[in-house]
Amino acid sequence: MVKTSSVTKLKKQENYIGYLFASPWLIGLIVLGIFPIFMSLYFSFTNYNMISAPTWVGFTNYRILFTNDDLFWKSLGNTVYHVMIAVPLGIIVGIALALLLNSKVKGMSIYRTMFYLPNVVSVVAMTLLWLWLFQPNFGLINQLLSPFYKLFNLEPLGWYLDQNMSKMTLILMGLWTAGGSMVIYLAQMQDIPVTLYESAEIDGAGWFKKTIHITLPLMTPSIFFNFIMGLIGSFQVFTIAYIMTNGGPSRSTYYYAYYLFDKMMNDNAMGMASAMAWILLVMVLIVTIVALRLNKFVFYLGEET
Amino acid sequence: MKKIIISLCLVLLGVFFIGCDGGTSDRVIIDFWHMSPVGSESFSATKQIINEFNESQELYTVKGTGFGFWDYWDKIAVAISSKTAPDIGFSTIDDVPIRAEAGVLYNISDLIDADPDGIDIEELYQSQLDFATYEGDLYALPFTATTRVLYYNLDMFAEVGLTEADVPTTWEELHTVAKQLDVDEDGVIQQLGFDPTYGNATYHGYLWQCGLDFFDDDLNPTLNTQKHIDVLQWMIDFNSEYTRNQLVAFGDANAMLGINVFAGERVAMIVEVDGLYQIIQNAGATFNYGVTSIPLPDEDGVRVNWGSGFSVELYDNRKNEEDQKAGAWEFLKYLMSKEVQKEFSTANGWLMAHQEAMEEVAEGNAIMTRLLEEVAYARDKRYVPYAPSWHGNDWQPYYNQALNRELTAEQALAAARANYLQKKENWEATH
Repeated sequence: MVKTSSVTKLKKQENYIGYLFASPWLIGLIVLGIFPIFMSLYFSFTNYNMISAPTWVGFTNYRILFTNDDLFWKSLGNTVYHVMIAVPLGIIVGIALALLLNSKVKGMSIYRTMFYLPNVVSVVAMTLLWLWLFQPNFGLINQLLSPFYKLFNLEPLGWYLDQNMSKMTLILMGLWTAGGSMVIYLAQMQDIPVTLYESAEIDGAGWFKKTIHITLPLMTPSIFFNFIMGLIGSFQVFTIAYIMTNGGPSRSTYYYAYYLFDKMMNDNAMGMASAMAWILLVMVLIVTIVALRLNKFVFYLGEET
Repeated sequence: MKKIIISLCLVLLGVFFIGCDGGTSDRVIIDFWHMSPVGSESFSATKQIINEFNESQELYTVKGTGFGFWDYWDKIAVAISSKTAPDIGFSTIDDVPIRAEAGVLYNISDLIDADPDGIDIEELYQSQLDFATYEGDLYALPFTATTRVLYYNLDMFAEVGLTEADVPTTWEELHTVAKQLDVDEDGVIQQLGFDPTYGNATYHGYLWQCGLDFFDDDLNPTLNTQKHIDVLQWMIDFNSEYTRNQLVAFGDANAMLGINVFAGERVAMIVEVDGLYQIIQNAGATFNYGVTSIPLPDEDGVRVNWGSGFSVELYDNRKNEEDQKAGAWEFLKYLMSKEVQKEFSTANGWLMAHQEAMEEVAEGNAIMTRLLEEVAYARDKRYVPYAPSWHGNDWQPYYNQALNRELTAEQALAAARANYLQKKENWEATH
């Protein structure tokens, strides 16, 4: 009995010490994470201008957003468009780069570094750089394309200044950082056992068949990971539009997160902005849960089938 | 060895405590937030002004904290919200009532009543004082003033045989003179006489000149009259011989390099804020230029320009900090004194709120004198609680669609009005 009691005491002591060591992180989580999350939920049911005390308005903020706010739907539509194109395109470009950089060419590490480099550039710097490149009148891209425009007698593209092109311009710009996902694809590609390729070669498979039947299926875990992360990230698109287009032209790049920011900073409507944040959270959760159902198509190497 | 380390630690501890004392242990620390961070051109002068105050004091020490202009607004908003605002700081003057109503500002009128010789209110512009007034009492003081004027390049005028006597005073004259100053080669703009969308010209500024506004006295959006449409149409058509793309590209070419299109000698006339004078001075420009009132729509037009300015406010964090309040008031009196206002103007190139101080700064300077004259006609935008950014984010998309001819002037104004009405309805539902 005495022995058991001292073991329990020791266990308790160990637990206390464990909590003590974990306390910096736990305090950070509670104070900087959980507390603001619940406060924002409370604010979403209030009218709060960030100066006066919040006043309870119940579900009014949510009702207004869903039933009487044209910009809410406009910004949501813009965001969904961005998600639907940027996420698959990002995956395709990332995989294409990984396939290219998986070959045994001299100086490959230099190429890999070059493609990854844009990921270490700050988003602000990147956006300012592309602002110059895409400038319709004197930007480098239109200068390079000018022979093409002349040949086909076309008007130079307006890129981010054209409301029909602006969303696509931001998506194309985002592809510059596809090197980030490329690294993950590349790592997974190098995990694929060489024996699989060898046996396929014996059966007469070429590069294309090996890619379709071995490489891509075995890359589905990383494709799935990048897909989920891309979905979550794309719903929050903000910085590139804030810097490059100010949400324009004609609100064509006025994304959900941008409208949320404006509600908070320009309209002093923290309550409404908090409601938007919670709606976004629920939307992303639903989309992610639906997306997770695709997990059945993911092939995990080494798993029993 | 152990003894040496312990001795060293004790010495360092002693130095630390002496450092903390700083010779001001019995003084009340007053926090002052400003917009001259370390590294900015005005940092040294601002620090000098603060140091001079501290040297003159036995009771208070002002601790200045500078933030960049664009960072400042978020910082002060969050600080006010979290009751950690500085004792004294700058803000925007048009929305003083919202802070006064929330009880986060000390009543300046009460402080003036208790210390009538502290600040000479007569030296401040009444129009600015009106904005800082809530329920009959002052809750802030205007610290700076802003005005918008027409800048004109006399060298460009001379090239086409025009003189200062030809500087336009009406919109019709403006158009006639501007067209004489346009230069293009094979359809590519080389020089532009004037464009009503360049610089700091605004649609609401032109509306004010016509006796119109975005909102009526009850803050209902107007914008739906033929006169509103006509003003916007005038702006759209002013340079109708060029496409919007050409005009934007011509303006952008300089703006992206951070060069003002007038300072870069690309346009002959522009509506700009008083700050452009300082920019031209700092750039060491050698061309001849002048400033005048913005041309009026016609003889019946209203002489008015959009002016604003920073307010200086004493923040009440609701912690009964009477010593801080008294110290902040002392510092406010110092900031609003003629000599300090002159120092700020010289250091930052700002137009300050103190009229006599500015008259002395502007003495012998024709441009400054003219800018000061226009301050008397400056008017700030109204604070619209349901659309605080009515002139910015709320209006710009419709404005740009009209300029790009994606919508007619009438359609753009109707769409903008519908947006304001929806915002108003939604605001009322939550207040």
